[in-house]
Amino acid sequence: MEYSDRQIINFSNADRTARGRVDSPFTILTLLLLLIGVMMVLSASFARAYYDPDKEATYYFIRQSFFALSGCAIMYIVSRIPLDLYKRYSMPVFALSLLLLVLVLVAGTAANGAKRWFSIGGITFQPSEIAKIAVIIFEARIICAYKGKMHSFRYGVIPFVLVAVSVVGLLVLEPHLSASIIILGVTAAMMYMGGTSMKWFLILGAAAALALGLMAFGMDYSSDRISAWMDPFADSSDTGYQIVQSLYSIGSGGLSGLGLGQSRQKNLYLPEEHNDFIFAVVCEELGFIGAAAILCLFAMLIIRGFWLALHCKDRYHCLVCGGISSLLAFQVILNVAVVTNLIPCTGISLPFFSYGGTALWLQLGEMGIILSASRTIPEKVVRYRNTNSNFQYVRE
Amino acid sequence: MTNRKSSDNGVKPPDRKMLSRTLLLMTVCGVAAFLVLIGRLFYLQIIMHDELESSAIEQQLRETALKGNRGTIYDRNMNVLAISADSETIYLSPAEIAMYGEDIELIADGLSEILVIDREKILSLAGDRASWYKTLARKVDAETVDKVREFKNLYNLNGIKIEPDTKRYYPYGSLAAHVIGYTGYENVGLSGMELSLDKNLSGVEGRIVRVKNAYGTDMLYTKFEDYIAGQEGMDAVLTIDSSIQYYVEKHLKQAVEDYDIQNGAAAIAMDVNSGEILAMASLGNFDLNDYQNVGDEAQQIIDEAPKEERSTLLSSFQQKMWRNKALSDTYEPGSTFKIITLAMALEEDAVKTSEHFYCGGSISVVGDGAGRGRKCWKTTGHGDQTLTQCMQHSCNVALIRIGQRVGAEKFYEYIDSFGFFDTTGIELGGEAKGLWWSEKVFCDSENLTQLAAASFGQTFTITPLQLIRAVSACVNGGYLVQPHLVDRIVDKEGNVVAESANEPVRQVISEETSNEIRSILEQVVCDTKEGTGKNAYVAGYRIGGKTGTSTKTVLEAGGVKEYIVSFIGFAPADKPEICILVLLDNPSSATGQYISGGNMAAPTVGKMFADILPYMGIMPVYTEEEKALMDRSVPHLEGYTIEEAKKRLYESGLDYCIIGEKDSVVETLPEAGTMVAPGSRIMLYTESSNDIEESYVPDLVGMSYTQARDVLEARGLYISSLSPRPANSNTMVISHQEVQFGSIVPRGICIKVELIDKDESIYGIY
Repeated sequence: MEYSDRQIINFSNADRTARGRVDSPFTILTLLLLLIGVMMVLSASFARAYYDPDKEATYYFIRQSFFALSGCAIMYIVSRIPLDLYKRYSMPVFALSLLLLVLVLVAGTAANGAKRWFSIGGITFQPSEIAKIAVIIFEARIICAYKGKMHSFRYGVIPFVLVAVSVVGLLVLEPHLSASIIILGVTAAMMYMGGTSMKWFLILGAAAALALGLMAFGMDYSSDRISAWMDPFADSSDTGYQIVQSLYSIGSGGLSGLGLGQSRQKNLYLPEEHNDFIFAVVCEELGFIGAAAILCLFAMLIIRGFWLALHCKDRYHCLVCGGISSLLAFQVILNVAVVTNLIPCTGISLPFFSYGGTALWLQLGEMGIILSASRTIPEKVVRYRNTNSNFQYVRE
Repeated sequence: MTNRKSSDNGVKPPDRKMLSRTLLLMTVCGVAAFLVLIGRLFYLQIIMHDELESSAIEQQLRETALKGNRGTIYDRNMNVLAISADSETIYLSPAEIAMYGEDIELIADGLSEILVIDREKILSLAGDRASWYKTLARKVDAETVDKVREFKNLYNLNGIKIEPDTKRYYPYGSLAAHVIGYTGYENVGLSGMELSLDKNLSGVEGRIVRVKNAYGTDMLYTKFEDYIAGQEGMDAVLTIDSSIQYYVEKHLKQAVEDYDIQNGAAAIAMDVNSGEILAMASLGNFDLNDYQNVGDEAQQIIDEAPKEERSTLLSSFQQKMWRNKALSDTYEPGSTFKIITLAMALEEDAVKTSEHFYCGGSISVVGDGAGRGRKCWKTTGHGDQTLTQCMQHSCNVALIRIGQRVGAEKFYEYIDSFGFFDTTGIELGGEAKGLWWSEKVFCDSENLTQLAAASFGQTFTITPLQLIRAVSACVNGGYLVQPHLVDRIVDKEGNVVAESANEPVRQVISEETSNEIRSILEQVVCDTKEGTGKNAYVAGYRIGGKTGTSTKTVLEAGGVKEYIVSFIGFAPADKPEICILVLLDNPSSATGQYISGGNMAAPTVGKMFADILPYMGIMPVYTEEEKALMDRSVPHLEGYTIEEAKKRLYESGLDYCIIGEKDSVVETLPEAGTMVAPGSRIMLYTESSNDIEESYVPDLVGMSYTQARDVLEARGLYISSLSPRPANSNTMVISHQEVQFGSIVPRGICIKVELIDKDESIYGIY
C-alpha cells in the first residue's frame, strides 16, 4: 500500500510539473461572493455591534475582513497543493477529524446547550467543518478504491454508512443537527457519483426519512421547531419569533429593497442577523432583484464547480470537486430554505456571508481544492463532442 | 490489495456513469433547487410584500403622545376653578438597570426613601428585566422630583426615568365640587364639568411617530419622523359665580348643622332671565383635590366595619357624596309647586286675583271614597281667603279648587309646557327624570284625585332643577329658559369657540300673569302676619317666594315619615334677577324645631339673599318702619361734651347712661362702630376706668328681641341681630345666640343673635 501510494505521487509529480492556471470564472465568482458577503456583514452586524457596549460598530466587519483576506491566501496556497496529497492522507485526515469530534465533546466550549466549538486564543472553530471536507476526501478515496464494485452492498454502501455513522454519531452527541444533515447529504452525493446502485438509495432514503420523522416528532425541542415552521405566526413572540422576524425582513424588501445599509429589521429585531439569518438582511436591503442575483451567483459558482468536476481527467479529482460543490450547494440551499421558512429552522450558515472566521477559512480552502483540481484541466478551449453517445475529451 | 493497486495505478478518468450522475447532481443542486428558492423569494417579497411589510412597520414604529395641556375652568368672573399644573412621573427601566449593571438594592433604598414607596415593591418592579417602563409614582411634585434627579445624577443611574406629566388643581377645594367635577388617571374627566367638557378641555392628543429598534429607542440612521399635530385643551368659562356659590354653600352648610339634616341638602341659584346657573350646591360635598376621601366620620365607620364589607361601604359613601342632589335626585315638591298651579289658573283665566276661596278644612274630590274628604293641612280650615291669602296660607283646599277649575287636560298640557316631562338638558350628566301619571290616568274624568294631589305638589316627582326652571318662567315674564352652566368655551388664543345662548326656549305664560304671580308671591314673604314665607324676608329688599314641605315615606325605615323642606325665592320681586331654591332632605326631629319649609328653608334662603343681593349690586331700600327697627352703630363720642353726646345718641335712636363726674366723654361702652339694637343704653364715661367687670350670659333663646335687649342691658351687655329680617313681629323670637348661655364675658360686649318667627299657626306641613 505504501509502495503504491508513492507510485501515485511520483506519477503525479511527473505528470503535472506543468500545472496550469486556476479556473478564472470559478475564482471570480468566489471572490465576488466573498466581497458581497463581507459588505453584508458590515451592514447586518452594525446595529448589533453598535448597541454592544463592549464592541465598536465595525467590530464584526473588521474581523470578517481579516478572515476574508487571510482566507484568500489560504485559498491560493491550497490551490497549489495537488489533490493526490489528500488522496494519500485522506485516511489519517479523516481519523484526525474524528479525533477532534471526540475531543470537542470533552474540551469544547458549550454554547446554547451544545458543545460544538473549540476556542483557541480568541479564535473559535467547529471541528464539524473539518469533518465535512474530511468525509469528502476520504469517501472519494474509498470510491476510487472500490470503483467497479460500487453497485454491491458491501462496497457501495457499507463503507459509506460506516463513515457517515461514525461522524454523525459524534455530531449527534454535541448535538449538531444541521452538520449531521449536511454530512449525510454529502455522503449520499458521493455515493451517487461513485456509482452506488439506486435500489440502495431507495432503501436508505426510506430509512433516513423514517429516522428523521422519529427525531422530528419524538423530541419536544424538535416538535417546537416543526410547529414554528408550520405556522410561525401562531407564536410569534416565542418559538416563532426568529422565523417571523426573518419573514418580516424578507417581505419588507419588496422588489428593489430598502437600499444597502437600510435594513430596519437588523435593528435588534432579527436574531442572528449577521450570522445564520444574514440572507434575510440581504433580501430586505437589496430586494428580490438583489437576492435573486446573489442566488444566481451562488448557482453559477456551484454549476462551475460541477462543470470543473466533469472536466477533471482524474476520477478522484472529479469526485472531490463534485463533493465540494455538493457541500456548497447544500449549505446555500438549506440556509436560504431555513431563512425563507421552506424547512424547519436549524442553524446552517450561508457560505461567504455568515460571520465566522474559521468557517470562512475552511470554505475558501475548499474552493482552493477545486481550484487546485482546475489546474489539472487542460487549458484553452475545452469542449466535448458527442459521438455515438460517448463523451470524448479533445484538446485543441 | 490487488484491487486497490490496480485502481490506483495511473490516471483513471471518471467513467460515463460517474459523469452522467455528476451532471444530474449539477442540475439538481445548481438549477432546480435554486429555481425553487427564487420562487419562494418571489412569493415572500413580491406577493406577500405588503402584508409582511406592514406587520414589520407596525412593530418598528413608536408613537409618543403629545399631551396638550388640559384647559382651565373659570367661573363667570374668570376666577380659576380648575387648572392643570406641571408635575412629573417617575418610572424605572429595569432593562436598562440590567444592561448597565446598576445596583437594584441601591436604587430601591434611595427611591423608597425619597418617594415613600415600599422598598420590596421597587425591588419586584426592578426585577422584571424585560420591561422598559415600570411606573413608580405619578404626579410627583417639583421638590420630590429634584431629590430624585439629584439621587439619579449622584450615582449616574440610567434606569431611573423622569417624565413630564400634569396634575389637576382645584384652588377652591370643595366649592361647587359637584359642578366642577374631578379627573382621574391620565387627567380624564370623571364627573361634573370635567366629564361633560372633557373633549373641549383635553383637546386632541398629538403624536410623534418614530422608528425604533427592538429596545424601543430610536433606530440607527433611519430618519423617519412623522408629527401629527394635536390641539391644546380649551378653557371653559362657567356661569357659576364663586362668590354666590360661596354664600349659598355657607348658609346651606349652616342649615344642615342647625337643623341636623340627615340626608343631604341641595341649593340652586339661577339667573331667572337667562337660565345661567349662578350656584349649584349639594351637601355633604367633598374636596376635589382629594375626591376619594369620604371624611373622617365615614372613614371611621368603614374602619370599624368587617374587612370584607369595607370596600362596598366605602363605595356607597363615595357614591352618596359624589351625587349631585340638585339634579340627580327627584322628590315630591309639595307646596312650592302651587306656584305652577296658580300660574296656569291665572293664565287660563280660571281664577281672578280678586276672587275669594273658602276653606272649611277639607274638600271632597271625584274619585275619593264616600266620606273621605281631602284635608287641608290646617284641619280647622282657613275660612274665607283672597287668592293672595290662599298662597300666603298655602291652603290645599283652595289649590284643589283652583286645579279643578283648570281641568285635568289643561293641567297636563301646562305640566308639559313648563318642562316637567323632560330633563332640562343642562350640561351636567346624571340628570334624573321625574315620575308622572300617564295622561290617560291623570285625565280620567271618573277619578280626579291625581289632579287634586298634583295641584298642591304631590303624587309625582321632579328634580330641583326642573322646579327652579318652571318657577323662573312664572316670575320672569313667562319665559321658559334653558338652565346652563357653560357660558363659553375659549381656545388658547382667546377666541370664543362656543357660546351659550341665553334666549328663552318658549313663552309659557303671559307677562301679565307673571306680574300677578310676582305680587302674590311677594306677599307670601313680606306679609309679617300671614305669609308662610316671612322668614325669608330681608330688610330693604323685595323678595317673593313659596315654602314647601313634603313627606316621603321611607320603606326601608319601616314606613317612617321623613320630610323634605324647601323654599324657592326670587328677588327683586318687581323685576326678578335671581331665583334660589333650597332643599333640606330629612331634618332631624331631635333638634326640637318645628319641621317645615317656612321655619327652616325660608330663613336659609333669606340669609343667602342678604349676602348675595348686595354682592350683585342691588341696593336695599328701607322703609321707615324698617329703619326704626334696624340695629345701628354706636357713634364716635370721645372728646364730645355730655350735651353733644346726648344729642348725637338721640339722633341715632340710642339711650345713654353717664358714668363719672366730668363734662366730656373719654370713653364709651360699647366702643364706637359697634352695631347694637335700637334703644340700647350706651355708657358714657367721663373718667377713664380701669376696672374690668365681668358678666354672666343668660339664656336668650325664646325671648323677643327687645326683651332680650333689656335682660342683657341689666348685665351691662348689648345685643345685635344676625337675621336679615327686621324684628318687626311680636312672634319673632331668638332662635340662636352666638355667645353660649352661661359664659362669663367682660361687660360692654355685644351678643349677636338670630331670630325666627315662631308663629306656628302659619306653618303647614304642605
